[in-house]
Amino acid sequence: MADLSLTGGQGAIDPSWLKLARSQPAGTADEPRRRRKLGPGRPIPYGAALGPVVLLILWSIGSATGYIDDRILSAPWTVATTGWELIQDGRLQENLWTSFQRSFWGLFWGIVAGASLGVIAGLSRIGEYLVDGPIQIKRAIPALALIPLLMLWFGIGEGMKVLTIALITFAPIYIQTHDGLRSTDARFIELAETLDLSNGQFLRHVVLPAALPGFLLGLRFGVTYSWLALVVVEQVNATSGLGYMINLARTYGQTEVIILCLAVYAALGLSSDWLVRFITRKALPWRKILAD
Amino acid sequence: MAQDSGRLTQPPVVAVRGLTRRYGERTIIDNVDLDIGRGEFVALLGRSGSGKSTFLRALAGLDHGVPGSGRLGTPDAVSVVFQDARLLPWKTVVDNVSLGLKGQTPRERALHALAEVELTARAKAWPMQLSGGEQQRAALARSLVREPELLLLDEPFGALDALTRLRMQALLLDLCARHRPAVLLVTHDVDEAIHLAQRVLVLDQGRFIVDLKVDLPSETGPRQRRFAEVRSELLSSLGVTQEELRRVA
Repeated sequence: MADLSLTGGQGAIDPSWLKLARSQPAGTADEPRRRRKLGPGRPIPYGAALGPVVLLILWSIGSATGYIDDRILSAPWTVATTGWELIQDGRLQENLWTSFQRSFWGLFWGIVAGASLGVIAGLSRIGEYLVDGPIQIKRAIPALALIPLLMLWFGIGEGMKVLTIALITFAPIYIQTHDGLRSTDARFIELAETLDLSNGQFLRHVVLPAALPGFLLGLRFGVTYSWLALVVVEQVNATSGLGYMINLARTYGQTEVIILCLAVYAALGLSSDWLVRFITRKALPWRKILAD
Repeated sequence: MAQDSGRLTQPPVVAVRGLTRRYGERTIIDNVDLDIGRGEFVALLGRSGSGKSTFLRALAGLDHGVPGSGRLGTPDAVSVVFQDARLLPWKTVVDNVSLGLKGQTPRERALHALAEVELTARAKAWPMQLSGGEQQRAALARSLVREPELLLLDEPFGALDALTRLRMQALLLDLCARHRPAVLLVTHDVDEAIHLAQRVLVLDQGRFIVDLKVDLPSETGPRQRRFAEVRSELLSSLGVTQEELRRVA
Protein backbone atom coordinates (compact mmCIF):
# COMPACT_ATOMS: atom_id res chain seq x y z
CA MET A 1 0.00 0.00 0.00
CA ALA A 2 2.75 2.40 1.04
CA ASP A 3 4.88 1.35 -1.92
CA LEU A 4 2.12 1.89 -4.39
CA SER A 5 1.17 5.36 -3.29
CA LEU A 6 4.82 6.41 -3.12
CA THR A 7 5.65 5.47 -6.70
CA GLY A 8 2.32 6.78 -7.91
CA GLY A 9 2.90 10.08 -6.17
CA GLN A 10 6.40 10.46 -7.57
CA GLY A 11 5.27 9.70 -11.06
CA ALA A 12 2.47 12.21 -10.85
CA ILE A 13 4.54 15.03 -9.39
CA ASP A 14 7.79 14.70 -11.25
CA PRO A 15 7.77 16.54 -14.59
CA SER A 16 5.63 19.63 -14.18
CA TRP A 17 6.48 20.27 -10.56
CA LEU A 18 10.24 20.10 -11.13
CA LYS A 19 10.04 22.45 -14.08
CA LEU A 20 8.16 24.95 -11.96
CA ALA A 21 10.77 24.70 -9.22
CA ARG A 22 13.59 25.28 -11.69
CA SER A 23 12.01 28.35 -13.21
CA GLN A 24 11.45 29.95 -9.80
CA PRO A 25 14.86 31.43 -8.89
CA ALA A 26 15.50 34.68 -10.77
CA GLY A 27 18.26 34.93 -13.39
CA THR A 28 19.85 32.36 -15.66
CA ALA A 29 20.58 28.73 -14.88
CA ASP A 30 24.31 29.49 -14.36
CA GLU A 31 23.65 31.77 -11.43
CA PRO A 32 23.81 30.05 -8.02
CA ARG A 33 20.43 29.69 -6.43
CA ARG A 34 19.74 32.42 -3.86
CA ARG A 35 17.44 31.95 -0.94
CA ARG A 36 14.28 33.96 -0.77
CA LYS A 37 14.84 36.92 1.61
CA LEU A 38 12.52 36.95 4.60
CA GLY A 39 11.54 40.06 6.50
CA PRO A 40 9.33 43.10 5.84
CA GLY A 41 11.26 44.30 2.78
CA ARG A 42 13.23 47.39 1.91
CA PRO A 43 12.39 50.77 3.53
CA ILE A 44 10.80 53.42 1.29
CA PRO A 45 11.83 57.08 1.74
CA TYR A 46 9.10 59.04 3.59
CA GLY A 47 7.12 55.80 3.73
CA ALA A 48 6.05 56.64 7.28
CA ALA A 49 3.86 59.44 5.89
CA LEU A 50 1.77 56.94 3.94
CA GLY A 51 -0.71 56.09 6.73
CA PRO A 52 -1.56 59.70 7.68
CA VAL A 53 -1.84 60.70 3.99
CA VAL A 54 -4.28 57.86 3.32
CA LEU A 55 -6.35 58.96 6.31
CA LEU A 56 -6.36 62.55 5.03
CA ILE A 57 -7.49 61.39 1.58
CA LEU A 58 -10.31 59.27 3.04
CA TRP A 59 -11.39 62.23 5.20
CA SER A 60 -11.38 64.55 2.16
CA ILE A 61 -13.37 62.13 0.04
CA GLY A 62 -15.85 61.57 2.87
CA SER A 63 -16.36 65.31 3.32
CA ALA A 64 -16.60 66.09 -0.39
CA THR A 65 -19.19 63.42 -1.06
CA GLY A 66 -21.18 64.46 1.99
CA TYR A 67 -20.68 61.06 3.52
CA ILE A 68 -19.22 62.75 6.65
CA ASP A 69 -21.62 65.21 8.27
CA ASP A 70 -20.05 68.66 8.69
CA ARG A 71 -21.46 68.90 12.21
CA ILE A 72 -19.64 65.71 13.25
CA LEU A 73 -16.34 66.35 11.48
CA SER A 74 -15.53 69.49 9.47
CA ALA A 75 -13.92 69.12 6.06
CA PRO A 76 -10.13 69.44 5.88
CA TRP A 77 -10.39 72.68 3.86
CA THR A 78 -12.73 74.20 6.46
CA VAL A 79 -10.16 73.41 9.12
CA ALA A 80 -7.41 74.95 6.97
CA THR A 81 -9.28 78.18 6.26
CA THR A 82 -10.36 78.51 9.90
CA GLY A 83 -6.74 78.01 10.88
CA TRP A 84 -5.70 80.77 8.49
CA GLU A 85 -8.33 83.14 9.90
CA LEU A 86 -7.33 82.40 13.49
CA ILE A 87 -3.69 83.11 12.62
CA GLN A 88 -4.71 86.33 10.83
CA ASP A 89 -6.51 87.74 13.86
CA GLY A 90 -3.73 86.43 16.15
CA ARG A 91 -5.90 84.28 18.39
CA LEU A 92 -4.13 81.02 17.57
CA GLN A 93 -0.62 82.34 18.24
CA GLU A 94 -1.74 84.02 21.46
CA ASN A 95 -3.33 80.89 22.90
CA LEU A 96 -0.52 78.67 21.61
CA TRP A 97 2.07 80.90 23.29
CA THR A 98 0.17 80.78 26.60
CA SER A 99 -0.06 76.99 26.39
CA PHE A 100 3.56 76.69 25.41
CA GLN A 101 4.70 78.77 28.38
CA ARG A 102 2.65 76.68 30.81
CA SER A 103 4.05 73.48 29.37
CA PHE A 104 7.58 74.80 29.27
CA TRP A 105 7.69 76.02 32.87
CA GLY A 106 5.86 72.96 34.14
CA LEU A 107 8.34 70.73 32.36
CA PHE A 108 11.25 72.87 33.52
CA TRP A 109 10.34 72.50 37.19
CA GLY A 110 9.49 68.85 36.57
CA ILE A 111 13.00 68.27 35.24
CA VAL A 112 14.62 70.18 38.10
CA ALA A 113 12.63 68.28 40.73
CA GLY A 114 12.78 64.90 38.99
CA ALA A 115 16.50 65.00 38.28
CA SER A 116 17.57 66.33 41.67
CA LEU A 117 15.33 63.97 43.66
CA GLY A 118 16.46 61.13 41.39
CA VAL A 119 20.09 61.95 42.13
CA ILE A 120 19.42 62.23 45.89
CA ALA A 121 17.63 58.88 45.97
CA GLY A 122 20.05 57.27 43.56
CA LEU A 123 23.25 58.20 45.33
CA SER A 124 22.44 57.77 49.01
CA ARG A 125 20.58 55.12 50.94
CA ILE A 126 19.10 57.61 53.41
CA GLY A 127 18.03 59.78 50.49
CA GLU A 128 16.30 56.82 48.90
CA TYR A 129 14.47 55.93 52.11
CA LEU A 130 13.29 59.52 52.56
CA VAL A 131 12.40 60.39 48.98
CA ASP A 132 11.35 57.22 47.22
CA GLY A 133 8.42 56.27 49.47
CA PRO A 134 6.46 59.54 49.17
CA ILE A 135 7.06 59.63 45.42
CA GLN A 136 5.76 56.09 44.96
CA ILE A 137 2.66 57.07 46.97
CA LYS A 138 2.21 60.23 44.89
CA ARG A 139 2.56 58.13 41.75
CA ALA A 140 -0.29 55.91 42.87
CA ILE A 141 -2.62 58.93 43.11
CA PRO A 142 -4.02 60.01 39.73
CA ALA A 143 -2.88 63.55 38.92
CA LEU A 144 -6.47 64.56 38.13
CA ALA A 145 -7.50 63.70 41.69
CA LEU A 146 -4.96 66.19 43.02
CA ILE A 147 -6.36 69.12 41.06
CA PRO A 148 -9.15 70.05 43.49
CA LEU A 149 -6.65 70.20 46.33
CA LEU A 150 -4.18 72.19 44.26
CA MET A 151 -6.96 74.63 43.34
CA LEU A 152 -7.78 75.12 47.02
CA TRP A 153 -4.14 75.72 47.88
CA PHE A 154 -2.93 77.71 44.90
CA GLY A 155 -6.10 79.17 43.38
CA ILE A 156 -6.91 78.85 39.70
CA GLY A 157 -4.09 81.00 38.35
CA GLU A 158 -0.98 80.17 36.38
CA GLY A 159 0.88 78.87 39.46
CA MET A 160 -1.56 76.01 39.90
CA LYS A 161 -1.34 75.06 36.22
CA VAL A 162 2.44 75.07 36.11
CA LEU A 163 2.58 73.13 39.38
CA THR A 164 0.19 70.47 38.10
CA ILE A 165 2.22 70.01 34.93
CA ALA A 166 5.43 69.83 36.99
CA LEU A 167 3.88 67.24 39.30
CA ILE A 168 2.91 65.09 36.34
CA THR A 169 6.18 65.40 34.41
CA PHE A 170 8.60 64.95 37.28
CA ALA A 171 7.56 61.35 37.99
CA PRO A 172 8.98 59.65 34.87
CA ILE A 173 12.14 61.76 35.02
CA TYR A 174 12.65 60.87 38.67
CA ILE A 175 12.02 57.17 38.09
CA GLN A 176 14.32 56.80 35.09
CA THR A 177 17.13 58.86 36.65
CA HIS A 178 16.92 56.97 39.92
CA ASP A 179 16.84 53.68 38.10
CA GLY A 180 19.78 54.65 35.89
CA LEU A 181 21.87 55.60 38.91
CA ARG A 182 20.92 52.50 40.85
CA SER A 183 21.52 50.05 38.04
CA THR A 184 25.11 51.14 37.35
CA ASP A 185 26.77 47.96 36.17
CA ALA A 186 28.41 46.21 39.14
CA ARG A 187 31.33 45.34 36.85
CA PHE A 188 32.07 49.02 36.33
CA ILE A 189 31.89 49.67 40.07
CA GLU A 190 34.47 46.93 40.55
CA LEU A 191 36.62 48.45 37.82
CA ALA A 192 36.46 51.85 39.50
CA GLU A 193 37.65 50.21 42.72
CA THR A 194 40.63 48.57 41.04
CA LEU A 195 41.55 51.87 39.37
CA ASP A 196 41.46 53.61 42.78
CA LEU A 197 39.04 56.26 41.59
CA SER A 198 38.06 58.90 44.15
CA ASN A 199 34.36 59.37 44.96
CA GLY A 200 34.26 62.43 42.72
CA GLN A 201 35.93 60.68 39.80
CA PHE A 202 33.66 57.67 40.26
CA LEU A 203 30.58 59.93 40.08
CA ARG A 204 31.80 61.98 37.14
CA HIS A 205 33.23 59.23 34.95
CA VAL A 206 31.14 56.20 35.84
CA VAL A 207 27.86 56.83 37.66
CA LEU A 208 26.53 59.95 35.94
CA PRO A 209 27.35 58.85 32.37
CA ALA A 210 25.77 55.48 33.17
CA ALA A 211 22.60 57.25 34.35
CA LEU A 212 22.40 59.68 31.43
CA PRO A 213 20.51 57.34 29.04
CA GLY A 214 17.94 56.75 31.79
CA PHE A 215 17.53 60.46 32.44
CA LEU A 216 17.06 61.15 28.72
CA LEU A 217 14.47 58.39 28.43
CA GLY A 218 12.67 59.94 31.40
CA LEU A 219 12.89 63.30 29.67
CA ARG A 220 11.22 61.87 26.59
CA PHE A 221 8.33 60.61 28.68
CA GLY A 222 8.28 63.91 30.59
CA VAL A 223 7.95 65.98 27.43
CA THR A 224 5.06 63.87 26.20
CA TYR A 225 3.39 64.06 29.61
CA SER A 226 3.78 67.86 29.67
CA TRP A 227 1.40 68.15 26.70
CA LEU A 228 -1.01 65.64 28.23
CA ALA A 229 -0.95 67.58 31.49
CA LEU A 230 -1.59 70.76 29.56
CA VAL A 231 -4.82 69.33 28.19
CA VAL A 232 -5.88 68.41 31.71
CA VAL A 233 -5.24 71.81 33.32
CA GLU A 234 -6.59 73.86 30.43
CA GLN A 235 -9.91 72.08 30.31
CA VAL A 236 -10.46 72.83 33.99
CA ASN A 237 -11.36 76.54 34.22
CA ALA A 238 -8.90 78.35 31.98
CA THR A 239 -9.45 81.64 30.15
CA SER A 240 -6.71 81.20 27.59
CA GLY A 241 -4.69 78.48 25.90
CA LEU A 242 -5.39 75.71 23.43
CA GLY A 243 -7.54 73.76 25.89
CA TYR A 244 -9.65 76.86 26.47
CA MET A 245 -10.09 77.26 22.69
CA ILE A 246 -11.29 73.67 22.47
CA ASN A 247 -13.79 74.16 25.29
CA LEU A 248 -15.12 77.34 23.74
CA ALA A 249 -15.41 75.68 20.34
CA ARG A 250 -17.36 72.84 21.88
CA THR A 251 -19.83 75.32 23.34
CA TYR A 252 -20.40 76.85 19.90
CA GLY A 253 -20.24 73.54 18.04
CA GLN A 254 -17.20 74.53 15.94
CA THR A 255 -15.67 71.16 15.12
CA GLU A 256 -13.17 72.81 12.76
CA VAL A 257 -11.58 74.71 15.70
CA ILE A 258 -11.45 71.56 17.80
CA ILE A 259 -9.78 69.66 14.95
CA LEU A 260 -7.35 72.51 14.41
CA CYS A 261 -6.34 72.55 18.08
CA LEU A 262 -5.92 68.77 18.04
CA ALA A 263 -3.65 69.12 15.00
CA VAL A 264 -1.60 71.74 16.85
CA TYR A 265 -1.31 69.41 19.87
CA ALA A 266 -0.14 66.63 17.56
CA ALA A 267 2.44 68.88 15.92
CA LEU A 268 3.72 70.06 19.31
CA GLY A 269 3.93 66.52 20.64
CA LEU A 270 5.71 65.14 17.59
CA SER A 271 8.20 68.00 17.26
CA SER A 272 9.13 68.01 20.94
CA ASP A 273 9.61 64.25 20.88
CA TRP A 274 11.84 64.69 17.84
CA LEU A 275 13.78 67.39 19.70
CA VAL A 276 14.44 65.10 22.68
CA ARG A 277 15.56 62.29 20.39
CA PHE A 278 17.88 64.75 18.67
CA ILE A 279 19.35 65.80 22.06
CA THR A 280 19.74 62.13 22.99
CA ARG A 281 21.69 61.41 19.83
CA LYS A 282 23.98 64.37 20.50
CA ALA A 283 24.47 63.53 24.18
CA LEU A 284 25.18 59.83 23.64
CA PRO A 285 27.52 59.73 20.61
CA TRP A 286 28.84 56.33 21.63
CA ARG A 287 25.39 54.89 21.10
CA LYS A 288 25.07 56.07 17.54
CA ILE A 289 27.39 53.37 16.25
CA LEU A 290 24.89 50.77 17.42
CA ALA A 291 22.30 52.12 15.02
CA ASP A 292 24.76 52.36 12.10
CA MET B 1 67.76 27.83 42.57
CA ALA B 2 68.84 31.22 41.29
CA GLN B 3 65.32 32.47 41.81
CA ASP B 4 65.25 31.17 45.37
CA SER B 5 68.38 33.05 46.36
CA GLY B 6 67.01 36.13 44.62
CA ARG B 7 63.93 35.86 46.74
CA LEU B 8 65.98 35.73 49.89
CA THR B 9 67.65 39.06 49.21
CA GLN B 10 64.46 40.78 48.04
CA PRO B 11 61.17 40.63 49.97
CA PRO B 12 58.37 39.03 47.98
CA VAL B 13 55.83 41.29 46.26
CA VAL B 14 52.95 39.17 47.50
CA ALA B 15 53.02 37.55 50.92
CA VAL B 16 49.86 35.68 51.85
CA ARG B 17 49.68 33.96 55.23
CA GLY B 18 46.88 31.76 56.49
CA LEU B 19 44.28 33.17 54.10
CA THR B 20 40.79 31.76 54.61
CA ARG B 21 37.60 32.78 52.79
CA ARG B 22 34.12 31.38 53.37
CA TYR B 23 30.79 31.56 51.60
CA GLY B 24 28.20 30.47 54.17
CA GLU B 25 29.14 27.01 55.40
CA ARG B 26 31.56 26.35 52.55
CA THR B 27 35.25 27.17 53.01
CA ILE B 28 36.45 28.28 49.58
CA ILE B 29 40.02 29.20 50.53
CA ASP B 30 41.37 27.14 53.41
CA ASN B 31 44.36 28.54 55.32
CA VAL B 32 46.58 29.22 52.32
CA ASP B 33 50.13 30.64 52.19
CA LEU B 34 51.72 32.10 49.06
CA ASP B 35 54.77 34.20 48.18
CA ILE B 36 55.23 35.72 44.75
CA GLY B 37 58.64 37.22 43.99
CA ARG B 38 59.38 40.41 42.10
CA GLY B 39 58.79 39.84 38.37
CA GLU B 40 57.63 36.27 38.91
CA PHE B 41 54.91 34.93 36.60
CA VAL B 42 52.61 32.53 38.43
CA ALA B 43 49.65 30.71 36.91
CA LEU B 44 46.81 29.44 39.07
CA LEU B 45 44.86 26.46 37.77
CA GLY B 46 41.83 24.80 39.23
CA ARG B 47 38.56 23.20 38.29
CA SER B 48 35.56 25.51 38.04
CA GLY B 49 34.35 26.36 41.51
CA SER B 50 37.74 25.55 43.05
CA GLY B 51 38.04 29.10 44.39
CA LYS B 52 40.69 30.47 42.04
CA SER B 53 38.66 33.58 41.27
CA THR B 54 37.89 34.01 44.98
CA PHE B 55 41.62 33.95 45.67
CA LEU B 56 42.35 36.52 42.94
CA ARG B 57 39.56 38.79 44.16
CA ALA B 58 40.96 38.58 47.68
CA LEU B 59 44.38 39.70 46.37
CA ALA B 60 42.68 42.50 44.40
CA GLY B 61 40.81 43.64 47.52
CA LEU B 62 37.49 43.16 45.76
CA ASP B 63 35.94 40.64 48.15
CA HIS B 64 33.95 43.04 50.31
CA GLY B 65 31.91 41.31 52.95
CA VAL B 66 33.26 37.82 52.28
CA PRO B 67 34.03 36.47 55.74
CA GLY B 68 37.48 35.09 56.40
CA SER B 69 40.82 35.62 58.04
CA GLY B 70 44.54 35.69 57.32
CA ARG B 71 47.19 38.20 56.33
CA LEU B 72 47.40 39.63 52.83
CA GLY B 73 50.61 41.42 51.91
CA THR B 74 50.11 43.07 48.52
CA PRO B 75 51.81 46.12 46.97
CA ASP B 76 50.08 49.48 46.47
CA ALA B 77 50.17 49.32 42.69
CA VAL B 78 47.93 46.39 41.75
CA SER B 79 46.23 46.15 38.35
CA VAL B 80 43.48 43.75 37.41
CA VAL B 81 42.48 42.50 33.96
CA PHE B 82 39.13 40.75 33.89
CA GLN B 83 37.77 38.23 31.44
CA ASP B 84 35.61 40.96 29.93
CA ALA B 85 37.58 44.04 28.93
CA ARG B 86 35.38 46.32 31.06
CA LEU B 87 35.88 49.43 29.00
CA LEU B 88 33.40 52.21 29.78
CA PRO B 89 31.30 52.44 26.60
CA TRP B 90 30.86 56.23 26.95
CA LYS B 91 34.60 56.95 26.90
CA THR B 92 36.95 56.66 23.95
CA VAL B 93 39.66 54.01 24.12
CA VAL B 94 42.37 56.49 25.15
CA ASP B 95 40.14 58.04 27.82
CA ASN B 96 39.45 54.56 29.14
CA VAL B 97 43.16 53.89 29.42
CA SER B 98 43.92 57.21 31.14
CA LEU B 99 40.91 56.99 33.49
CA GLY B 100 41.94 57.86 37.04
CA LEU B 101 45.62 57.96 36.07
CA LYS B 102 47.67 59.96 38.55
CA GLY B 103 50.78 62.02 37.84
CA GLN B 104 51.91 64.10 34.87
CA THR B 105 50.62 63.93 31.27
CA PRO B 106 48.14 61.07 31.70
CA ARG B 107 46.98 61.31 28.09
CA GLU B 108 50.48 61.00 26.63
CA ARG B 109 51.21 58.03 28.83
CA ALA B 110 47.92 56.41 27.81
CA LEU B 111 48.77 56.89 24.14
CA HIS B 112 52.20 55.41 24.75
CA ALA B 113 50.62 52.36 26.42
CA LEU B 114 48.24 51.99 23.47
CA ALA B 115 51.24 52.07 21.13
CA GLU B 116 52.74 49.22 23.14
CA VAL B 117 49.69 47.06 22.51
CA GLU B 118 49.59 48.22 18.84
CA LEU B 119 46.30 50.06 19.23
CA THR B 120 47.37 53.62 18.38
CA ALA B 121 45.08 53.72 15.36
CA ARG B 122 42.02 52.98 17.50
CA ALA B 123 42.81 55.42 20.32
CA LYS B 124 39.86 57.69 19.53
CA ALA B 125 37.38 54.92 18.73
CA TRP B 126 34.50 53.93 21.00
CA PRO B 127 35.04 50.61 22.77
CA MET B 128 32.03 49.07 21.03
CA GLN B 129 33.74 49.60 17.70
CA LEU B 130 36.63 47.32 18.70
CA SER B 131 36.87 43.56 18.24
CA GLY B 132 37.11 41.34 21.31
CA GLY B 133 40.89 41.05 20.99
CA GLU B 134 41.33 44.80 20.56
CA GLN B 135 39.17 45.46 23.61
CA GLN B 136 41.29 43.12 25.69
CA ARG B 137 44.46 44.82 24.40
CA ALA B 138 43.04 48.17 25.51
CA ALA B 139 42.35 46.63 28.93
CA LEU B 140 45.97 45.42 29.07
CA ALA B 141 47.18 48.93 28.19
CA ARG B 142 44.96 50.35 30.93
CA SER B 143 46.49 48.06 33.55
CA LEU B 144 50.12 48.44 32.41
CA VAL B 145 50.06 52.24 32.16
CA ARG B 146 49.71 52.25 35.95
CA GLU B 147 53.13 50.50 36.24
CA PRO B 148 51.78 47.80 38.57
CA GLU B 149 54.03 45.83 40.87
CA LEU B 150 51.40 43.10 40.79
CA LEU B 151 49.30 42.26 37.75
CA LEU B 152 46.25 40.10 38.37
CA LEU B 153 44.74 38.41 35.32
CA ASP B 154 41.37 36.68 35.73
CA GLU B 155 41.02 34.39 32.69
CA PRO B 156 41.85 37.36 30.44
CA PHE B 157 41.77 35.39 27.18
CA GLY B 158 38.91 33.07 28.06
CA ALA B 159 36.42 34.79 25.75
CA LEU B 160 38.74 35.09 22.73
CA ASP B 161 38.98 32.80 19.71
CA ALA B 162 41.99 30.47 19.52
CA LEU B 163 44.00 32.56 17.05
CA THR B 164 43.47 35.88 18.85
CA ARG B 165 44.23 34.16 22.11
CA LEU B 166 47.60 32.95 20.78
CA ARG B 167 48.61 36.45 19.68
CA MET B 168 47.46 37.93 22.98
CA GLN B 169 49.55 35.42 24.91
CA ALA B 170 52.65 36.37 22.93
CA LEU B 171 51.90 40.07 23.50
CA LEU B 172 51.45 39.48 27.22
CA LEU B 173 54.84 37.74 27.45
CA ASP B 174 56.51 40.69 25.67
CA LEU B 175 54.84 43.24 27.92
CA CYS B 176 55.73 41.33 31.08
CA ALA B 177 59.35 40.98 29.97
CA ARG B 178 59.47 44.75 29.51
CA HIS B 179 57.60 45.90 32.63
CA ARG B 180 58.55 43.05 34.99
CA PRO B 181 55.46 43.06 37.23
CA ALA B 182 54.74 40.07 39.43
CA VAL B 183 51.87 38.26 37.69
CA LEU B 184 49.14 35.98 38.94
CA LEU B 185 47.24 34.50 36.00
CA VAL B 186 44.05 32.63 36.81
CA THR B 187 43.14 30.25 34.01
CA HIS B 188 41.58 26.88 33.35
CA ASP B 189 43.78 26.30 30.30
CA VAL B 190 46.68 24.03 31.26
CA ASP B 191 48.68 24.70 28.07
CA GLU B 192 48.34 28.45 28.53
CA ALA B 193 49.60 28.13 32.11
CA ILE B 194 52.69 26.13 31.07
CA HIS B 195 53.51 28.40 28.12
CA LEU B 196 53.22 31.66 30.05
CA ALA B 197 54.17 31.00 33.64
CA GLN B 198 57.42 30.17 35.41
CA ARG B 199 55.48 28.52 38.19
CA VAL B 200 52.08 26.81 38.21
CA LEU B 201 49.80 26.33 41.20
CA VAL B 202 46.75 24.07 41.32
CA LEU B 203 43.98 24.97 43.73
CA ASP B 204 41.71 22.17 44.91
CA GLN B 205 39.26 22.23 47.81
CA GLY B 206 40.68 25.53 49.00
CA ARG B 207 44.36 24.44 49.09
CA PHE B 208 47.29 24.49 46.71
CA ILE B 209 47.83 20.81 45.92
CA VAL B 210 50.53 21.49 43.31
CA ASP B 211 53.27 24.14 43.27
CA LEU B 212 55.45 23.42 40.26
CA LYS B 213 58.40 25.16 38.59
CA VAL B 214 57.91 24.85 34.83
CA ASP B 215 61.57 25.33 33.73
CA LEU B 216 61.18 24.57 30.04
CA PRO B 217 64.62 23.87 28.44
CA SER B 218 65.40 25.92 25.32
CA GLU B 219 66.29 23.04 22.90
CA THR B 220 63.25 21.73 21.08
CA GLY B 221 63.51 18.03 21.99
CA PRO B 222 63.93 18.27 25.76
CA ARG B 223 61.50 21.18 25.75
CA GLN B 224 58.72 19.07 24.26
CA ARG B 225 59.46 16.23 26.68
CA ARG B 226 59.36 18.55 29.68
CA PHE B 227 56.19 20.18 28.39
CA ALA B 228 54.42 16.81 28.09
CA GLU B 229 55.64 15.80 31.53
CA VAL B 230 54.38 18.98 33.24
CA ARG B 231 51.16 18.86 31.30
CA SER B 232 50.36 15.31 32.27
CA GLU B 233 51.15 16.01 35.93
CA LEU B 234 48.94 19.10 35.98
CA LEU B 235 46.08 17.42 34.14
CA SER B 236 46.08 14.43 36.46
CA SER B 237 46.10 16.74 39.49
CA LEU B 238 43.04 18.37 37.97
CA GLY B 239 41.29 14.99 37.92
CA VAL B 240 41.89 13.92 34.31
CA THR B 241 42.49 10.14 34.35
CA GLN B 242 45.37 8.40 32.52
CA GLU B 243 42.77 6.70 30.32
CA GLU B 244 41.22 10.04 29.30
CA LEU B 245 44.69 11.51 28.77
CA ARG B 246 45.64 8.68 26.37
CA ARG B 247 42.45 9.03 24.38
CA VAL B 248 42.23 12.79 23.75
CA ALA B 249 44.95 14.87 25.33
